[in-house]
Amino acid sequence: MREVKVVEKDKKNHFTGFVLKLLGNEKWQFLTIPIFLIALSFVVASVIILILGKNPLMAFFNLMQGAGIMPKPSYAGYKSILTDFLTLLNFMTPMIFASLAVAVALKGGLFNIGVSGQMLLGGYLATVLVGYSGLNAFVAKPLVLIIGILGGAMLGGVVGFLKHKFNINEVVSSIMFNYIIQYVLSFFIHTKYIDPVSRQSKYINSAARLTLVNVERFGLKMDLPLGFIMAIVLSIGIKLFLDKSRVGFEIKAVGANPKGARYAGINVGKTMITTMALSGAFAGIAGATYYLGYFASIQPRVLPSMGFDAIAVALLGNNNPYGILASSFIISIIEKGSTYMSSIAGVRQEIASVITGLILLFSATNVYIQHKIRTTKEKYKYNMGKELEE
Amino acid sequence: MSEYIVEMRNITKRFPGIVANDDITIQIKKGEIYALLGENGAGKSTLMSMLFGMYEPDEGEIWIRGEKVNIDSPNFATKLNIGMVHQHFKLVENYTIAENIILGIEPIKKYLGLFSHVDLKGATENIARLSRKYGLEVDPSKKIEDINVSMQQRVEILKMLYREAEILIFDEPTAVLTPQEIDFLLEIIEELKRGGKTIILITHKLEEIKRIAHRCAILRKGQLVDVLDVKNTATREMANLMVGREVSFKTEKKGACFQDVVLEVRNLSIKNNDDFDVVKDVSFKVHGGEVFAIAGVSGNGQVEIADAIAGLTDIFQGEVLLNGKDISNYSIRKRTVEGISYIPEDRQTYGLILDFSLAENLALKEYYKEPFNHNGLLNRNVINEYGEGLIHKYDIRSSQGIKTQVRQMSGGNQQKAIIGREIELKSSLMIFVQPTRGLDIGAIENIQRMIIEERDKGKAILLISLELDEIMNIADTIGVIYNGEIQKIASADALTTNEVGEFMMGVTA
Repeated sequence: MREVKVVEKDKKNHFTGFVLKLLGNEKWQFLTIPIFLIALSFVVASVIILILGKNPLMAFFNLMQGAGIMPKPSYAGYKSILTDFLTLLNFMTPMIFASLAVAVALKGGLFNIGVSGQMLLGGYLATVLVGYSGLNAFVAKPLVLIIGILGGAMLGGVVGFLKHKFNINEVVSSIMFNYIIQYVLSFFIHTKYIDPVSRQSKYINSAARLTLVNVERFGLKMDLPLGFIMAIVLSIGIKLFLDKSRVGFEIKAVGANPKGARYAGINVGKTMITTMALSGAFAGIAGATYYLGYFASIQPRVLPSMGFDAIAVALLGNNNPYGILASSFIISIIEKGSTYMSSIAGVRQEIASVITGLILLFSATNVYIQHKIRTTKEKYKYNMGKELEE
Repeated sequence: MSEYIVEMRNITKRFPGIVANDDITIQIKKGEIYALLGENGAGKSTLMSMLFGMYEPDEGEIWIRGEKVNIDSPNFATKLNIGMVHQHFKLVENYTIAENIILGIEPIKKYLGLFSHVDLKGATENIARLSRKYGLEVDPSKKIEDINVSMQQRVEILKMLYREAEILIFDEPTAVLTPQEIDFLLEIIEELKRGGKTIILITHKLEEIKRIAHRCAILRKGQLVDVLDVKNTATREMANLMVGREVSFKTEKKGACFQDVVLEVRNLSIKNNDDFDVVKDVSFKVHGGEVFAIAGVSGNGQVEIADAIAGLTDIFQGEVLLNGKDISNYSIRKRTVEGISYIPEDRQTYGLILDFSLAENLALKEYYKEPFNHNGLLNRNVINEYGEGLIHKYDIRSSQGIKTQVRQMSGGNQQKAIIGREIELKSSLMIFVQPTRGLDIGAIENIQRMIIEERDKGKAILLISLELDEIMNIADTIGVIYNGEIQKIASADALTTNEVGEFMMGVTA
């Protein structure tokens, strides 16, 4: 009896030791724990898919095939794994911007739940002002971005201003603005810009579009998302801005301790408006690359769900711009691959959203896991030390 | 059953870069008041945190009532009848006293034997009974946000008693209290002892130990220096053992040499958020080379005066003149630039950004200036070098130097960082609010010496303190405030401690 116990204890110790070896290194925890949590969400998703009577490994493989990470058995004409992958990047581009918008606001202690509304406003303004004009591509494309930025920044700035001037919680005002933007803009789209067949706004001119569609090269027809390179550049840019600049320092100070920041002489109200305007600007670019890149028209009365998914992506990426690049990649694969998964494996498309939800759920436990590992490590060391003594 | 109720044997606890407790053994008898004396960062709180299960020791054993235990959580400590009142209270502001006390162990009753609900009525009765038993007057139906600090502390004590704690740990309980409240608390502690409880008192105030403790363990830099019988030991001897050198209780200072008026406050009135007059028609002047102290019982408007001068609170009426210039409408930063340094009362909420590094906090008031900020970009090298300089100059101790997150630092070193930063601004006016609150003798002596040094350099010092001893010790001029009004302004030599005390209570001569 006693022997069995010893063996069990040994096993347990081995297991703890293994987990600690895997996740215990604090220097790498920023990477190891999110990966562990994502793995965990896939395990849980597998169970759900198993319950549905399908093969989870196949489903995940199909997801990757659909997203252009793994080759499909056959492709239609002019298509290949490369075109699928470019479509993934095309989708991922606005996702990165939207998540950066959330992250910037969170750094400044604000919760921007209005990214969707800001995306829509930026996208709408760019569509009606430039999308239908006959401007040539070299003028139209930068102009689209600028208008998107201004539209988003303006709306974000207003939210910040309301918070500063009237102490209106940014969450409440952002949600209200989401509704206002959604319905007011759909009124204009319906009355002025509607395409009677598609029931969406009319397609924009290709000169204004931020994704080059059906580019023929290597015998393929590819979509080239021009915004993607900008997404990478701006991720690095915003990281440097927050780390190195005076304004970035002030944003973080206000986020960490608004009373302390005020005492130090920082203009807290102005900083909050700046933060929200900056966040809105990113949301505006997200809107431009979404409505004038990934799509070329706007569906009235619908808020882009990407603005809300971005919250999950930002959290999963630990609010770090580089982390966000990685997390938007993962979430985009799941979202983009879901159509193919449902058609091949017969797993319903909604399962993809379930996986995304699980990832968010688990990534919210990040800090707890860190704490748990720290305490277990201490206990483990203590026990090991005692055993050696014995 | 062993003679001791608590034994901590050969306890060692290490933190990155520091040995917080080095092979410490203490033994506490049932029913005694046992004091732990030591400077900030000596390891008192760490030691008790291990007894309360917040940390586990790296080495050593804990024995409770003659049994070896492994206390791995505060919950387990509570099961062993150990309770702790932390220095910073852990209460839910918008809950009532009764709700706070039962939180976590709510007594459950069932309507019709089916629908469970919290038996608040029974709990309230229980609490009332407990509070009568130990002379802890509280009204269980009041909300925490509506009661003062001393009452909140009583709630914390009741919380322990409600959980049937037998071993009560008090972490710096008097740091936040006024002299009268301290008297009252010490009586409560004595009463608890008579009720058979064992008390462990973490403190660095010698008078308190002298008054109520039986035995006293002295810690210095993580090591146990001595365990003394309080009755047979002189206060001075305890102080010397604690600091490790001779301490002087009286700050040396030369006679003041007044220069021009630096700060003039004219007919200042301030309203609080509830539109209540907290400061009424206050006027005074502070000269260069003068320490002007405002004495008063906590909450009589003195902090609001400091906030108004520094720009954190709106002025309702009156004006503030700095070097002859009306700064009443200046922004906070503009006042700093004009020459105001401010050491705020609440150093953790206002004085520092706890999640930032020490270097960033040391540059918190100058980061936007050249050479810290060049064309909108912060120069980390300059900030770090500046931080290193201040750490060296003001002897700010931390585990990882400039990179240390300020949250991880001890209270005394946090305060040193703030004072160092503010002195380096080289302002003509320095406002100190409770600069030595919660600090140990060594640090107090040090800070008071720095204040005098600044005065001798010709700075105007506005000192706001609740410690009458401190005011009598270093002030040149004393203004006594009561209920938002200045009762008396006089030279420090012309007033005795008793007279100041009377003015503080609003007794007008």
